[in-house]
Amino acid sequence: MTWLLVAALLTAATLFYVFYIPGQLFLGPEKTRASYLRERKDAVYENLRDLNFEYQAGKIPDADYQQMKSSLQDEAATILAEIARLERGPGKTA
Amino acid sequence: MAELGSFALLLALALSVYSFLAGLVALIYQKSATQPASAARTLPESAGFASLLRRGSERLAETSRRAGIASFGAVLLASIILVICAFHDDFSIAYIFHHSNRDLPGPYKFAVLWSGQEGSLLFWSLLLTGYAFVLRLRYKTDARLFAYASVVLAGVQIFFLSLLNFAAHPFAIMQGNIPADGNGLNPLLQYPEMVIHPPMLYLGYVGFTVPFAFALGALIMKYPGEKWIHITRRWTMVTWAFLTCGIFLGAHWAYSVLGWGGYWGWDPVENASLMPWLTGTAFLHSVMMQEKRGMLKVWNMWLVFATFWLAILGTFLTRSGIISSVHAFAQSSIGDWFAWFLVLTLGVFLFFFIKNHKSLESEHKLESLASRESSFLFNNLLFVLLCFTVLWGTWFPKISELVQGNKVTVGAPFYNRVAIPVALLLLILTAVGPLLAWRKTSLESLKRNFFWPTIGAIAVAIFLIATPESWGSVFGLRPWRDISYFYSLMAISLSVLVILAVASEFYRGGRVISRHTGQGMFGSMVQLTHRNTRRYGGYIVHFGAVVVIIGLAGAAFNQDREKEMGYGDKMSIGPYTLLCRSYTEDESPNYFSQWAMIEVFKNGKAIGSMTPVRRFYKASQQTSTIPDIRSTLNEDLYLVFEGVNQDNGHPIIKAHLNALVMWIWMGVWIMLIGTGLALVPNAQAPVRAPATARLERAQPAPVATGD
Repeated sequence: MTWLLVAALLTAATLFYVFYIPGQLFLGPEKTRASYLRERKDAVYENLRDLNFEYQAGKIPDADYQQMKSSLQDEAATILAEIARLERGPGKTA
Repeated sequence: MAELGSFALLLALALSVYSFLAGLVALIYQKSATQPASAARTLPESAGFASLLRRGSERLAETSRRAGIASFGAVLLASIILVICAFHDDFSIAYIFHHSNRDLPGPYKFAVLWSGQEGSLLFWSLLLTGYAFVLRLRYKTDARLFAYASVVLAGVQIFFLSLLNFAAHPFAIMQGNIPADGNGLNPLLQYPEMVIHPPMLYLGYVGFTVPFAFALGALIMKYPGEKWIHITRRWTMVTWAFLTCGIFLGAHWAYSVLGWGGYWGWDPVENASLMPWLTGTAFLHSVMMQEKRGMLKVWNMWLVFATFWLAILGTFLTRSGIISSVHAFAQSSIGDWFAWFLVLTLGVFLFFFIKNHKSLESEHKLESLASRESSFLFNNLLFVLLCFTVLWGTWFPKISELVQGNKVTVGAPFYNRVAIPVALLLLILTAVGPLLAWRKTSLESLKRNFFWPTIGAIAVAIFLIATPESWGSVFGLRPWRDISYFYSLMAISLSVLVILAVASEFYRGGRVISRHTGQGMFGSMVQLTHRNTRRYGGYIVHFGAVVVIIGLAGAAFNQDREKEMGYGDKMSIGPYTLLCRSYTEDESPNYFSQWAMIEVFKNGKAIGSMTPVRRFYKASQQTSTIPDIRSTLNEDLYLVFEGVNQDNGHPIIKAHLNALVMWIWMGVWIMLIGTGLALVPNAQAPVRAPATARLERAQPAPVATGD
């Protein structure tokens, strides 16, 4: 019958752990379009860094480098513009 | 003890059910509380109710998380109890009686936990709840996404714990009198690697549930962006490393224990572990396209699902008895449970995929065939093609039985016909991929990057053809004599191409760092690796993979001979001469053994002695061979005690000369070291923001997906 006692204690401890929640809960920030865009911006910056590094390493000819850099910079600029627009709030202009 | 174990399993199931249901209800309420403005939300009392609802659902979600955490404790307790029962020789428990005996050495008594059907399912559940335990503790990374993943994991937990409680109970009690001793552990499993091979394999199998849980969670909640991939990247790499380790430990075990001189036989159970590895490897590559370019989102979602699904399918294969294999567990009814679970998971995934697939639109299109993206795409297609071939070959006996009424099995030639050309194409992509630029690569760039590695690979091919055959092993390769020689030459030359491509990546990167910091080349390459551990760790994994491929290519040069050897008898194989010095028998509490002492000469010079053994296990009444293997970089001399001539008592010895096998095991170590490096966090690099100058010119516009 010892096992019954152990089982009862185990159940009580488990119920206490599961249902006794003192204090505030951690909910974390809501995922918004702006936070998503910041992630995209980081990814594009990382792509730019990689491109720059590969160019310096001599893997990419100058013409290719300029073209790809320009394309990535345009992408980053578009993202930054939308982040700026969202941060200013709806309806406002620069 | 058995009663407490049973109770712990029941408690774990109850907690998992609660975690799933409470989590599900909480997520549904949270979603409805955050719906876009409706008429009801404009009323103050309704807003108050929504706030109350939200707070309630948040507390409910927290109890769900805690119940999930507690379920790990309950499963851990059940596992500990089973191991204690094994050490106490508690044969009142049927599982212990069937898989252990009093004289079984201690480490194997520990391994009893995963040696049979019920115990291994308990071990599977322990790993699953263990992974989920870590995930639920780390929920602060992204509380919402983790809540979804936790519910998915709780659903998978319910399945495995239901199996344990209702179909394959590890604490089932023996009927009638308690036997004095157990049946013992299968002799093939009484080998040190068998103590770690199943846990590694299971860690890999089970681990893929975590990326799947995040992927399904992200799909259900239409998670914007690629953060779920960042979160699961390390999980996936760790899991992949465990599965790789498990597969190769299995291959090494087969090589060292089964006594047939090989390491891979395209057995259904081997295939079962290979399939999720192939799709998992494809995912590790294609995921980079999603992170960097926002492409292949649908493909990646399916790859994650396929990897999880194939891991479950592999478990179904091993446990249902549907396909015969030397590794499979006994035939049982739990196959039906797995079949239904496979259907259910496919149904759930398909439902949410059809419902939410619009959230997975690609942000960019493929711009050129000569680009890093296309190399990843082809790499993925090849991995999936290979996976499909293995799947088809594995299921073909069953399919032919259903269609024709008789089982037609497919052997190594079927798999090799596809696997070898695909592996060679993958080698080309492994060499080419890192040298291609993202988006597109110009002809000038191709010439600049490929010239020297290609020259090096061609030079090695010419060298291998030109060297005399008397050098042995892979030297003096004549590809026109046999297709297997041609494949070996291609494999080795392309491996050299990969190695040179990887070396040029390290050299070029190191040169840049050296120019900026003034450090030496080696220090610069170390710093380079530390700055981008994932990329350069990945290259080391590639290097390890080609070392494995070189080892596999050696199979074309294998030889074997078999001879009855009395005292003083000789046998020759390659440069080796074997001389039988003696043969005898021995007894230990667990087994009887017969062994021969063979003196080995290489090119006429004595280099040592070898003792192949054959054992007869008392408890299980089964025999097993322990081959003696002498490994060098060039070849393995592999001796097996095949049996005894009943007329004169002379041992029958089989000798294998296997070329380059050691390269396989070395390659795996390199792959694991590379994976370990890829898991190290990057050192901080200077940050630039070159796009700001264009900010003012840009027009605000919608960017890709995201709610």
